[in-house]
Amino acid sequence: MYLRMIRQSFFEGRKRKALAAITVALAAALITTLLNLSVDVGDKMAKEMKAYGSNIRVVPKSENIPLKIGGVDFNPLKGRDYLDEAELTKIKDIFWSNNIVGLAPFLDVPVEIAGKDAGRVSLIGTYFRKSMPLPSDEEYRTGVRITHPYWQVTGAWPDDESASEVLIGRSLARRLGVAAGDTIGVTRPTEGSGGSAEASYRITGILATGEAEDNAIVAPLGAVQALAGLQGKVQSVSVSALTIPENELSRKAIRDQDSLSTSEYDVWYCSAFVSSIAHQIEEAVINASARPVWQVAAGEGVVIGKLQVLMLVVTLAAFASAAMGVSSLMNTAVMERAREIGLMKALGAAEWQIHLLFLTEAVIIGVVGGILGFLAGSGLSQAVGWAVFGSSLAFHWIAVPVVIAVSVATALAGSILPARSITRLMPVEVLYGR
Amino acid sequence: MDKRIDFDTAAMFASDYSRTSKPVIETDGLTKQFGTVAALDDVDICIREGEFVAIMGPSGSGKTTLLNILSCLDTPSAGTYRLDGLDVSTLTEPERAVIRREKIGLVFQQFHLIPYLTALENVMLAQHYHSVADADEAMEILQSVGLSARASHLPSQLSGGEQQRVCIARALVNEPAIILADEPTGNLDEENEKLIIELLQRLHEDGRTIALVTHNPEMGALADRTIRLRHGKLDG
Repeated sequence: MYLRMIRQSFFEGRKRKALAAITVALAAALITTLLNLSVDVGDKMAKEMKAYGSNIRVVPKSENIPLKIGGVDFNPLKGRDYLDEAELTKIKDIFWSNNIVGLAPFLDVPVEIAGKDAGRVSLIGTYFRKSMPLPSDEEYRTGVRITHPYWQVTGAWPDDESASEVLIGRSLARRLGVAAGDTIGVTRPTEGSGGSAEASYRITGILATGEAEDNAIVAPLGAVQALAGLQGKVQSVSVSALTIPENELSRKAIRDQDSLSTSEYDVWYCSAFVSSIAHQIEEAVINASARPVWQVAAGEGVVIGKLQVLMLVVTLAAFASAAMGVSSLMNTAVMERAREIGLMKALGAAEWQIHLLFLTEAVIIGVVGGILGFLAGSGLSQAVGWAVFGSSLAFHWIAVPVVIAVSVATALAGSILPARSITRLMPVEVLYGR
Repeated sequence: MDKRIDFDTAAMFASDYSRTSKPVIETDGLTKQFGTVAALDDVDICIREGEFVAIMGPSGSGKTTLLNILSCLDTPSAGTYRLDGLDVSTLTEPERAVIRREKIGLVFQQFHLIPYLTALENVMLAQHYHSVADADEAMEILQSVGLSARASHLPSQLSGGEQQRVCIARALVNEPAIILADEPTGNLDEENEKLIIELLQRLHEDGRTIALVTHNPEMGALADRTIRLRHGKLDG
């Protein structure tokens, strides 16, 4: 009989019910969008934040204290410790390999410009967007164009495979009076009895970074290795990794890894904290010391954390306003159906039996509103994804039950006050208008 | 052909049968105050099993107030009310709801049928709140009031008389100790009024205990006894 009543009364007050379902649907659409965004915002924002640079720097364990004067490293190249270029593929083979967005090796060699009295300048070898062989055989192109997206080039980027194309920093170009298309000769000063090496490069573009590279020449890694006689060697590697904000556990791990219990270690290791990814790189690459660049890593964490709090607040506001809307509509329903409720009470219905009827209607409104809202919200979140991040957001199945459950909870929360009205309603008052 | 209530038992009801049967309703000093106004003032009545009692009186005499208290829809301000041997005057609303579904069949002047339920479902609703809805049993009751052919109709598709018969069927379906009716013909035309009077008469003859509030002298004349109220007090 109960189901029969639910079915028969389904189309009673359908305008009001449709309005309630739309109210819930609007909130559900917003919640779906925010939920999809909040699941993806970490990755999306982390990718956006990569514009501010890489967040892990890998150096040899016994890296010398830099002896830099005017941006030029005066440490002798001989006797220094290097990383093997061949080891770099292992960075893409760690547990969180999919979170490694890009990496760029660096080899910094002091050179003199032939025919110019410019003093020593840095010749930096790196990958621009070089194809790197991976154990999985997949195509992986990486370099500074991915890890350092803020590098601005006027002209063309050099070809990674070329031995003669370079970028020149804008300050150095101004100082030397050279422009894209010109050729410059460099000489690597001798160290001990090693003799000198010379090379001639064609400038393909002017580089502006706002950092030390503005006073340097940046060349394909192979060319610099050849000039320095350091084939297969790199000094440091910048890694861009998608990470999650640090928490108490990761801070504990950073303070003292040995203080973690086995289960804590497992959780930390299997979470994409910048510290755990750095740790895995150290494990993978021989003789490597990987250090998070805290200014970048912490900045990402703070921004993403604040965004997620903001979205939670907006979600709660949407939830509250929808609940209030439903409450008002349900209250109207109770008023409209006061005689019906009074009759049920007069016939001896228990309070819970009447509440059950209205709460079931609220659940149906919640489910219908939730499904409609989810569909609308999925579309909206894709639109937001394209508008804000320029890419679609991944579909998360978990959002389906979450949004429907939240919608039902919204409808039920909105029914709390109307339910009190049902309890207060006296049959003699509504049946006899007393 | 509808199954009609058995009329053969009518002969067993003599004018003084009520003096020997057990009381269904007993009130003692029943009083109802609305602010400073006494709608009922020290009313003592007794309605016995099988009796058909009409409660009459001018407007504002307290008839409906008395019926509401007897229906357990309202509580007295003072005095006691025993229904089927149980003191119900001090019960809470949930307890009175149990009494209503177990002991009382209500017939309203406005019928008060659920608009989206069919005639049959309106009868089944009372069963649902009482125990278990039984469509066959509900259909039998509808047959007894001559409405089997209209069982699947919505109230809006029924005439006033038919709606009142559904209301009476709903009041009967749980075999209550007493049927309490408030102006059951107040909203009906003459023809339907006649039908309802006949139906109530048959129910009485079938041994049902009935108390009704009415202005209708014809209906009052049918009753075994008339309780008259004036200014909230028993009149005579």
